[in-house]
Amino acid sequence: MRIACPYCGPRENGEFSYLGDATPVRPSLEQGVDAMLDYVFLRDNVAGEMQELWYHGGGCRAWLKVTRNTLTHEISAVEAARGAGAAKVGKR
Amino acid sequence: MAELSWVATAPLSHVLKPGHHGAETGGSGVAYTGLSDFALVQVMARRGKASALAKAAKAHFGVAAPLKPKAVAAGGSLLIWSGPDQFLALSPRDGLASPLASLAGPLAGAASLSDQSDARALIRIAGPRARDVLAKFCSLDLDASVFPVGTAAATSVDHTAVTLWRGEDTAGGAATFNLLVFTSFAESLWHMMLDAGAAYGIEVGEASYGV
Ligand SMILES: [Zn+2]
Repeated sequence: MRIACPYCGPRENGEFSYLGDATPVRPSLEQGVDAMLDYVFLRDNVAGEMQELWYHGGGCRAWLKVTRNTLTHEISAVEAARGAGAAKVGKR
Repeated sequence: MAELSWVATAPLSHVLKPGHHGAETGGSGVAYTGLSDFALVQVMARRGKASALAKAAKAHFGVAAPLKPKAVAAGGSLLIWSGPDQFLALSPRDGLASPLASLAGPLAGAASLSDQSDARALIRIAGPRARDVLAKFCSLDLDASVFPVGTAAATSVDHTAVTLWRGEDTAGGAATFNLLVFTSFAESLWHMMLDAGAAYGIEVGEASYGV
């Protein structure tokens, strides 16, 4: 599998580390403990296309948001994850 | 109290033995040169300051810092892309002067600077078989059509993060590649490179950067 880093170009997947699902959004404190439990621990086991966070640690050290089909490993989009994390707390 | 003294040594000094290595016939297919006496500064834009850094760097260096994986000559310095909104500034070392001194003023507020001069080893790989050697341990396509002179890359070699760029060809027209690697990984990388190049015959040397 290769991932086309938007900064570096296509690279072998050994240069990347996998974090997981890129879609969970950290809930605000008002949303309660159940929402936080869900955010921290519960993940869907997607069979098909999902958005994932990958880290290009063996290259430019950027976090990437990768759209990958878990059945075929086909990657349909790769974009920089910058701004996708803490900046969006409590928002979709 | 015991006397304590510090002896400055180049990161490859224990393993770099100048002379011919590997295959005895057919001359040297590659030359490995350990380069020392360089100043290396990591320049990273502060949050939201990428365009301020671009402006300040252009004003200071006289050319735009690379926004893509390239190495750009800027007067006495070489600006090497190392990731989004960051680059390395490589130059000959100026005695004991801090490499940060000349950059701190011009880039103030726009970038964070980190002196990496003694944190990396710099190795030059040149010669008619340079690409063949690199093909054994580097996964990038280094063909001249896609990796022309001045192209840079942040990649992994032998499980080690390296900064790689293609320099000017040798006088004989052979390709030249430069490799920056963390000092603590340099010896292991060097041993691997000697194994990789042995079949081609290796001319090992050392030099001061920029001389
Ligand atoms: Zn990258």
